[in-house]
Amino acid sequence: MELQLGLALPSNPSKGFDLNYFASEPKEIAVSNRSFTVASSCTDINDINDNNKKRSFDQTFENPTDSTVPRTLPLLLWNHHPNEEDDPKDLENHSLVTFNDKKDGDNGDGLVGWPPIRSRWKNKRLCHENNGAVGLENGFACGIRGSNSTYVKVKMEGVPIARKIDLSLHHSFQTLTETLMDMFGQWWLETGQKDSNQYKLAYQDREGDWLFTEDVSWRTFSRSVQRIKLLKSSR
Amino acid sequence: MQRMACSFPDEVLEHVFSFVQCDNDRNAISTVCKSWYKIERWSRRRVFVGNCYAISPDMVIRRFPDVRSIELKGKPHFADFNLVPDGWGGYVAPWISAMAAAYPWLEEIRLKRMVITDENLELISKSFKNFKVLVLSSCEGFSTDGLAAIAANCRSYLHCRNLRELDLRESEVEDLSGHWLKHFPDDYTSLVSLNIACLGCEVSFSALERLVGRCPNLRTLRLNRAVPLDKLANLLRRAPQLVELGTGAYSSELRPDVFSNLSGAFSGCKELKSLSGFWDVVPGYLPAVYPICCRLTTLNLSYATIQSPDLIKLVGQCQNLQRLWVLDYIEDAGLDAVAASCKDLRELRVFPSDPYGPEPNVPLTEQGLVSISEGCSKLQSVLYFCRQMSNAALMTIARNRPNMTRFRLCIIEPGTPDYLTLQPLDVGFGAIVEHCKDLQRLSLSGLLTDLVFEYIGTYAKKLEMLSVAFAGESDLGLHHVLSGCEKLRKLEIRDCPFGDKALLANAAKLETMRSLWMSSCSVTFGACKLLGQKMPRLNVEVIDERGTPDSRPESCPIDKLYIYRTVAGSRFDMPGFVWTIDEDSAMRLS
Repeated sequence: MELQLGLALPSNPSKGFDLNYFASEPKEIAVSNRSFTVASSCTDINDINDNNKKRSFDQTFENPTDSTVPRTLPLLLWNHHPNEEDDPKDLENHSLVTFNDKKDGDNGDGLVGWPPIRSRWKNKRLCHENNGAVGLENGFACGIRGSNSTYVKVKMEGVPIARKIDLSLHHSFQTLTETLMDMFGQWWLETGQKDSNQYKLAYQDREGDWLFTEDVSWRTFSRSVQRIKLLKSSR
Repeated sequence: MQRMACSFPDEVLEHVFSFVQCDNDRNAISTVCKSWYKIERWSRRRVFVGNCYAISPDMVIRRFPDVRSIELKGKPHFADFNLVPDGWGGYVAPWISAMAAAYPWLEEIRLKRMVITDENLELISKSFKNFKVLVLSSCEGFSTDGLAAIAANCRSYLHCRNLRELDLRESEVEDLSGHWLKHFPDDYTSLVSLNIACLGCEVSFSALERLVGRCPNLRTLRLNRAVPLDKLANLLRRAPQLVELGTGAYSSELRPDVFSNLSGAFSGCKELKSLSGFWDVVPGYLPAVYPICCRLTTLNLSYATIQSPDLIKLVGQCQNLQRLWVLDYIEDAGLDAVAASCKDLRELRVFPSDPYGPEPNVPLTEQGLVSISEGCSKLQSVLYFCRQMSNAALMTIARNRPNMTRFRLCIIEPGTPDYLTLQPLDVGFGAIVEHCKDLQRLSLSGLLTDLVFEYIGTYAKKLEMLSVAFAGESDLGLHHVLSGCEKLRKLEIRDCPFGDKALLANAAKLETMRSLWMSSCSVTFGACKLLGQKMPRLNVEVIDERGTPDSRPESCPIDKLYIYRTVAGSRFDMPGFVWTIDEDSAMRLS
């Protein structure tokens, strides 16, 4: 159900007609080392029909394979032997990517985005597993590998012991901050500083940079956080 | 000729055109002559923009002055798998502001993979006098505050506004509070469809109950996980007319009174045809839905971590099932049962329960899919995750089901060969494209050489979308696809040894497609620059978080490439890690 921009050669002329105007256009396009003429301005598609005449049937539904226009417009002429040094059928010489090299930088454990399942969907199931609400019978382990662990370390400035927090249980800074308050509550009591405003939340992202959470959205934060720190606010 | 064209008054033509709803047909109508173009553009009510950057809002508004329904898509599909960095784009804001001014009578907004803020939602809630439908599919950037604005303004006395549909399918919503639901006014009764399954927080349950109770036309209700099972019965009793239901968490202590209450409530829903949800399933409660199974046409169990015997008992009763989404806990045995009971099955999706584990955790293999292909003669659409496949199985499936239109196979370990012969799976997929002549969508996996692409280029003449990962050997593979697949609209490739040559040799093809995505391939920045300079109607976006591509040799492969056709020129909202090249050959940064 598309608004066809009709920038194309009609690929299936009997089915439908692209919004744009083809019969003369393809011939304007030159091949390879000549410069390209931009066909009539596409920016104002209201001016599509300059002439009042209706198109003839043949003109409209011209079979592209009959036309003289090449179906591919090369910026490079295809020579059928793109890799001279390789015999394409020779599997041993093939340049198949070695998959081990393409790992996600921060954990080296898994490929980014593979298998192709949606991350939020994964998080939902991980939530379930972390909650342990329903034990999986038969001991089927749903392995949670490094790349998908939702636990991050939290350190509060001035507190010797770091804690870990399960990020998948949180969906906003509010709930996260509340949980952190509870976690480190006893230290505040001891130091006499209960006011959460005294602390700023900072996190280390995938690139190793430390950022303040107040500058970013939850989504940006949750996607890239590696570690969290509670810093005394100096103001 | 001229006289004939004028002999029908505009109103008559408009009335005739009103029977033509398909966009392709309306596009064809508009090219007949100037007067038809004019009448058609004034009467077009629904616009679909497959890539929000392919055209500007002003251009759409200028051409179609009276649109009532718009659908926009933003990020490329691979954004679903975290391959598109945050901040890439897909902002709906300029569209909303333009439409707020130009389309006061807009009724429907459907967005997919776009970024929408609370401010945008507020503007929507206030700008359109007759607003009815808001669907946000895989969107992000907003919070429950934005939803509160939608709810608060869902009904307008001044105008005839009555919201009918609020569908948040799989969007990422910042959960600030569940109170947003309370903003629906007490006299608001026109809700037809509500999908909040993606929300993490607890919504105000009493508000939800009252809302459900006072909306007699409610036919779709998809709850989120936070709605407990013991509240479900009450909701169902208030909405026995429901056609589609998504449960919340499906777990509770097993208690006979809760069970019979639930079972009774389900039995009262005589129209129920679609079920989903089922988080945290306690198998003992599954029989509560047995009374309605025979009416079900859609069953989504992709969150249900229940084992094969329970799944078989459930699905075995769904003789009218057309669509089944399930985890691989169903096992080959379960799929055999589906093949035997669900003769009307059109679509099957089997998701992995342990996608990152190195070993198979369940006995689900290619055999399950083969059984389905044998038993379900109407099967058209498949998404199947498994760990082993053979050419023989693929050939069997292809011969059994030449009517297949969507075939997406994901063999979990990249580069897995035919487990019987240790050969690549080229001939298996070749059989798929050869036999399934109407195939529109295909996803490949396993060990594949350039040969599979030759098959695809030769046979897949109706293919519109192709997803490729860890496949091929050389540019020849990409060349086969670009030169052979006449109907190709979307091509997405990751981790394949495709470089510049096929891309440059088929540059014009790219203008016939919506978009091309290539990541972790061997395309150089030099080729991207050339494409960008020579092809003014393409936006060639180089996405690279390592810093400017100019800081590396031109022959160095770029990280990610997204090419799409456009009449709107380069976009202005690119983040720092996206580079594009204009025809003036100056490299543009954001």
